[in-house]
Amino acid sequence: MLFRMFLRSFFLQAGWNYERFQNLGFAFMLQPALERIYPDREKLKAALLRHLQLFNTQPYMASFVAGNIARMEAAAAASPDPAAALRSMPGVKQALATSFASIGDRIFWGRLKPMTAELCLLTWAACGFSGWLFTGIDTPVPFWLLLAGPLAGIVCYSAFALYWRWKGLEIGYSCGGTAACGLDSADWRRLIRVLSAAGFALALALMLLAFGMMLAANCFVCGYPELLLKAGVVLAVLVLHRISRAFGRSVFFAAGLLLAVSLTLFSVLRLGPFNLYL
Amino acid sequence: MTEWLRVLISAALAGLLGLDTVQAGQFLLSRPAFLGPVLGWLNGCPLEGARLGILVELLYIDFIPVGGVVPPNGTAAAAVAVLAYSCGGIAPSLSFFIGLAAGAAFSPAEYRLRSARSAWGGRIEAEVNSGVFALRRWVAMAMLTENAAMTAYVLAGAGLSVLLARVPGLARLYPGTDFAYSLMPWLGLSGLYFRFRAQIYKKG
Repeated sequence: MLFRMFLRSFFLQAGWNYERFQNLGFAFMLQPALERIYPDREKLKAALLRHLQLFNTQPYMASFVAGNIARMEAAAAASPDPAAALRSMPGVKQALATSFASIGDRIFWGRLKPMTAELCLLTWAACGFSGWLFTGIDTPVPFWLLLAGPLAGIVCYSAFALYWRWKGLEIGYSCGGTAACGLDSADWRRLIRVLSAAGFALALALMLLAFGMMLAANCFVCGYPELLLKAGVVLAVLVLHRISRAFGRSVFFAAGLLLAVSLTLFSVLRLGPFNLYL
Repeated sequence: MTEWLRVLISAALAGLLGLDTVQAGQFLLSRPAFLGPVLGWLNGCPLEGARLGILVELLYIDFIPVGGVVPPNGTAAAAVAVLAYSCGGIAPSLSFFIGLAAGAAFSPAEYRLRSARSAWGGRIEAEVNSGVFALRRWVAMAMLTENAAMTAYVLAGAGLSVLLARVPGLARLYPGTDFAYSLMPWLGLSGLYFRFRAQIYKKG
């Protein structure tokens, strides 16, 4: 039963809508458990309708809630007064969904997902591929290397996500019934701090690596003033992004501004070509 | 394989992998960094596909899909960028910016699809009430509509790119777009740096 719920958890967000969010996916995920708990079709119908109401959480962490709710449904079915046993369910479900959404968003969307891009770039850099930085250079690169970068991030990320998807179901089902069930299954605060530090270290390493690569590519082919100008252009991009973030603008603002300035200088005013990498 | 068959397969693949964004899995197979080289390989330009993909990824990583937010779609962006280059014959630099715009423009379509599914709630409840518990069918229908929308969008993007490539004097834009494109890795890297720096200062 838990394994079938685990497989169905991959479709939690299918049917995502603005009225009830992940309700369809959650009911679909719970269906194997409910079918086992309620052999009677009327009771199964009532249970499915209960879980077709509003539900929203972080998709990887939904397993904690689903395991918990499956256990609560099983306990209610076995109870002499099912209505009383089910009374606390909406509150527990909502409390868990909110808590795990907050944890999951910080871990997966806020930290691990950007780290997959960092892993991709580091894998490429370690294998000697610098085409991601030098946009005008077309040295042939084996296809396996181009795929190895993104796959490194995907494998690490998905392994972690799969672990918590399964573990969440197990933990939720074992301690089901309380609004704090599973919240102490890991030191989330510490994990978030460690991921932030690791992400920052990787980002800093990538920035320094890219800067070094740019200087190394230019230092033997252009003079000192030109080298300084190129380093200045790069620093100007960083400052522009920092300022646009400070004013709450998205990266599109900075990208659009850079495009507009470049088009004005090199396409409209037709200044001589200027390449960052020679 | 003819050009248009390749485009059709690419669009279908983008539609299939696009499901991974929200509808099914979330294994990050729909991320531009992965889709870019795959579509590039399919269309005979794996290196440029990888480059377009990772640059879209670096810029789109700035958007987090929390709550009901519909961020710009990286799958659409990478697919349209790669096809604009490979089938439209547009320079990679301009293809990249076309892709960025295409990804952002997909958000309203995604919003409409999600809004349209709001009406399903009552219909599903009525079906369950009548004793039919075929939730699987609704899940499949949601995925099929998303898949069809993404495939059609990427095909339309590729078609528009072919038309755009025929605009006279387009090449005059290339010196400007080339320079802006060469700055995009830095913009993406700085995005990663500032994101994690802000997290460190917020202390988790």
